[in-house]
Amino acid sequence: MPDLVLELINLTKTYQVSAGAFRGQRDLRAVNGISLTLEKGEVLGLVGESGCGKTTVAKLVLALENPTSGHIRLQGRPLAECDSKEIARQVQPVFQDPYASLNPRKSVGSIISLPLRALKVGNRASWNTKVSEIMEVVGLAPHLRHNYPNQLSGGQRQRVAVARALIMRPQLVLCDEPTSALDVSVQAQILNLLMRLRRELGLTYLFISHNLAVVEHLATRVAVMYLGRLVEEAPTRELFRNPRHPYTQALLGSVLTPEPGRGLPDTHLGIAYPNPIDPPSGCTFHPRCPKAAEPCKEQVPVPRREGGRLVECHFPEEL
Amino acid sequence: MGLILEVEGLHVELPLPAGQLQAVRNVRFEVSQGETLSLVGESGCGKSLTALALMDLLPPRAIRRAGKLVFEGRDLSGAAEETMAHLRGNRMAMIFQEPMTSLNPCYTIGNQLVEAYLQHRRASKREARERAVFLLEKVGITAAGSRLKQFPHQLSGGLRQRIMIAMGLMCGPSLIIADEPTTALDVTIQAQILALLADLQREFQMGLILITHDLGVVARVAHRLCVMYCGQVVETGTTKEVFARPLHPYTQGLLRCIPVPGRLEPGSELGSIPGLVPTPIGVLKGCTFRNRCPKSRPECVVENPHLREIGPNRALRCLDTLASVA
Repeated sequence: MPDLVLELINLTKTYQVSAGAFRGQRDLRAVNGISLTLEKGEVLGLVGESGCGKTTVAKLVLALENPTSGHIRLQGRPLAECDSKEIARQVQPVFQDPYASLNPRKSVGSIISLPLRALKVGNRASWNTKVSEIMEVVGLAPHLRHNYPNQLSGGQRQRVAVARALIMRPQLVLCDEPTSALDVSVQAQILNLLMRLRRELGLTYLFISHNLAVVEHLATRVAVMYLGRLVEEAPTRELFRNPRHPYTQALLGSVLTPEPGRGLPDTHLGIAYPNPIDPPSGCTFHPRCPKAAEPCKEQVPVPRREGGRLVECHFPEEL
Repeated sequence: MGLILEVEGLHVELPLPAGQLQAVRNVRFEVSQGETLSLVGESGCGKSLTALALMDLLPPRAIRRAGKLVFEGRDLSGAAEETMAHLRGNRMAMIFQEPMTSLNPCYTIGNQLVEAYLQHRRASKREARERAVFLLEKVGITAAGSRLKQFPHQLSGGLRQRIMIAMGLMCGPSLIIADEPTTALDVTIQAQILALLADLQREFQMGLILITHDLGVVARVAHRLCVMYCGQVVETGTTKEVFARPLHPYTQGLLRCIPVPGRLEPGSELGSIPGLVPTPIGVLKGCTFRNRCPKSRPECVVENPHLREIGPNRALRCLDTLASVA
């Protein structure tokens, strides 16, 4: 029995949004029946275009939102039964923008020690030693402890965010686009740091990103989301070698690798990402799909599991 | 192919409490008809200020000096605001990074599209509208006529960026400056917008200055590139050459930083550039990259390397590499 850190079971989150003046409320299914598991030590990359529900999944896992239906289990325990402090001990986030996610009026030491103080772990002396330890682990110079975020560079700020997430030694670290706001050279430093910490501390990551090159480099397994559904999930190497869903193929095709002379790829996707309030009938991807046929317009495809991979398509690529 | 823009000795300084920030230092490049030149670098390297300096849109306190700033055969280094206002949006146009903030939310798309055209051309509103519809169709927007009545918030990010491009093209400029035109967009839309820009550029034979930090975008779109570091151009060349044989240690470092599918073992250590970008304030001596450079020599501390031609269309600012090339 593998050691499951996180289980999402048929998870759904519906928001009520206004459909316009005097038109009442309509349902927006941000997450529409997702099942995922995450074993200890894994890095699960969650990819998809903006508006596909990646961040909603993150909010649900952090218990910042309650699911409309379905369950989340953390270390085998239902999340609904845990109180917020219990959850904070197990799951910690690293957000996208280190300029917005750190309190500008608190010193670095105070930001990093906040989880300890909020959860009342140890005393003042042990907080101090723990902060020093974790700052060394993430590569922050000890003298920065009394500095404020505005005195730090983007990369240093993101290291502070990582230190704050790790000080509780959580089981699961949720990285929501952790390097998108950073420069290339700094991005490489933070990715190296995340990989090293995973090896040394045995961490499990849920890694949300739209940068497929980064996901391929870091993740052990990748899940592709489209309009709140999971359309494909597979071990990273297999997904990149043999993408089965047409949407995954298009996503992989649109990655601009630094190879001059290759020109620009034509993904045949059209411009319109559908409005999630008004999702297309049948397979929600059919209006943009190059392989769409009659059944795609009416029948919702059933998720198929084969050989450790999941695909949700009427006509998937052969294994 | 004729030269559209020649820039030499461009400096931009910003007065800060700590001293003069030398944001752009001695930048030199030229753009020909139908050519895409990319300015690449990390944030703070001066690429966006260079673009704003060309358009004379710098913040009020900034000081611009240029040895030579020739656009379409006219020297603009000391041009009056009136002259610049006549050229901006007319002969040279700019496409900004965020289509969310660079469109005015209070006016319809149509209103914003025709504004520059009515300003610069002696045209009727009907002619301007026809031109707008023609260009919206060119940038791949369906039902263009009815889009003119819509407001920016009713459109997706990709559509808004297409509208920004159409707006830039209204007066048929000879030079387009695109500052991170696809950074705010999804990967699937990014490729489409870049392909669109490249097609339009070929069709109208415009010069394009593409400002970006994304080396993938540069590789696929630009003909030539200037790598900028700390306000200076450190390496220039054709895209093919620079990517195949990067010579400056900074360019080499940048290229090692990006994970390339298929070329790098997943999970292996990525290359990185140690240290931080220095802030170019006050009198600068020596090479600004020396503290992060694996090849720095004692001379690098005292001598500021020049941008030296090392071949046709290829120049480099590095003492060490120049010594080994020569």
